[in-house]
Amino acid sequence: MSHLNVKVAAIEQVTEYVKHFTLVSENGEKLPSFSGGSHVVLALNIKGRIHRNPYSLMSSPLNTENYGVSVRKQELSRGGSVFMHEQIEVGSRFQITYPVNLFSLSKLSHKNILIAGGIGITPFLSQIVDLNRTQTDYELHYAYRSPEHGAFREEIQEMCGDRSHFYVASDGQLIDFNDLLSEQPLGTHVYVCGPEPMVNAMIAAARELGWPEKHIHNEQFTAPQIGESFKVKLAISNIELEVPTDMSMLEAIEEAGVDAPFLCRGGACGRCELEVVACDGSIIHHDNYLTDAEKNSGKKIMPCVSRAKCQNIVVNL
Amino acid sequence: MERQYWIRSKPVYTSLLWHEKATAHLVIAEGDGGMAVLKLLQQKYPTQVVRGFYAKSSDSLKNYADIISSLIPDEFTVFANANDALKSLKNSLAEYHMGTRFYVAGSEAFIWQVAKELYDFGVQDDDIEKELCGTLARSVYCVHCKAITHNVHHNIVNCTGCQRKLFVRDHFSRRLGAYMGLMVDAEQPGDIPTINEVYP
Repeated sequence: MSHLNVKVAAIEQVTEYVKHFTLVSENGEKLPSFSGGSHVVLALNIKGRIHRNPYSLMSSPLNTENYGVSVRKQELSRGGSVFMHEQIEVGSRFQITYPVNLFSLSKLSHKNILIAGGIGITPFLSQIVDLNRTQTDYELHYAYRSPEHGAFREEIQEMCGDRSHFYVASDGQLIDFNDLLSEQPLGTHVYVCGPEPMVNAMIAAARELGWPEKHIHNEQFTAPQIGESFKVKLAISNIELEVPTDMSMLEAIEEAGVDAPFLCRGGACGRCELEVVACDGSIIHHDNYLTDAEKNSGKKIMPCVSRAKCQNIVVNL
Repeated sequence: MERQYWIRSKPVYTSLLWHEKATAHLVIAEGDGGMAVLKLLQQKYPTQVVRGFYAKSSDSLKNYADIISSLIPDEFTVFANANDALKSLKNSLAEYHMGTRFYVAGSEAFIWQVAKELYDFGVQDDDIEKELCGTLARSVYCVHCKAITHNVHHNIVNCTGCQRKLFVRDHFSRRLGAYMGLMVDAEQPGDIPTINEVYP
């Protein structure tokens, strides 16, 4: 997969936990254009290991001079976001993938309801530019914990005017999904990005009201989780390797020199799916891609986020 | 008819079934589509609002309008023809919200006329339940002169626009509500395969 070499042109502390990074291409050339809702995967060299984390592009899709990504510091994670917050400086260089969009706006929509929770606001910032440009009807509903965590509120108010609605949990303001979705005109599409319980509650409310699946869109990137180490055998490459506690299976496969397919690295897109030939324990699925039946079958694994609780697992790669 | 392979654009029609999760139900039927409506009424009736549009057609086998009206007079409005029903449907769609379920039954031409009205309100083809009733007659789009010939029952038809003899394919345009028709004797003028009634 081809990569873009970028360097950090500016860093802004947006809230206590959120930093915004402006990325420009290393050689000063323009970056590829993209559509609202796209993300890139950052390859970060942390203590000699390459971590690859997906982040939504939140800059304007019309701007190819630089890309903007925002990172929320996740203390209980494997360190990618902490590294971004504590180690990355103006001038730092790393590689990113070309933009990929797994959260695109439906071209058939007549109205769009955008629902963001916390840092889940980021994909909507690029989508709003597209919606304003195409003069498509929309509403943005942005929920966050407390006033000091309302990242980008002023920019959003400026971009969206009275289309934006803010919900501050510490003031007791919550989004009532049933209320929000029950009287929307035909042709409305709803998009949600945020914490898992919020995403699930929104999807459940829409389904209960009879919204067709094609009108319900969500993006949930799962970060790879820390877990017990286990051994993997790649049946086709005939390689055996160990997945350490703080590395994802996909990262361990890459470290072993195998060019495994991937796209989102967040358990959303399905590109990295591997067939499980044998496993002497159980698979711990963390992705949002496989169906429950597929997960229960134990025949498939998404190595970007999922792990195994076993001694040995054999996959067809 | 194509064999050995499957044209993905060819629509597949099923039997109408009420959706359990819904805010309202809109049933739109024409002619023999009345039978599909009667089959719907034999299922557990929804708790949500039901509204129906039924268009009479001289082609239909039975007078379904009277039967439907005797069963659920308040919910269904009967129209003299498809155009009146479509006009009334179009004028009422703005009142409906997301969560409204759509059920359409009748000839293929009628089904896709309704789908077009719904599409203008952002309702996608996939969101509409469709039951084909009464006839397999096709509308055929001439790829040469772009005219559409309606009510085609045979595998080969004379184009009403350019008089070419068109072979009726399974390739279907949802936007036009018509199958693709190609000149059948372009390479060997006058060499016309046997013409059969295949879409009764």
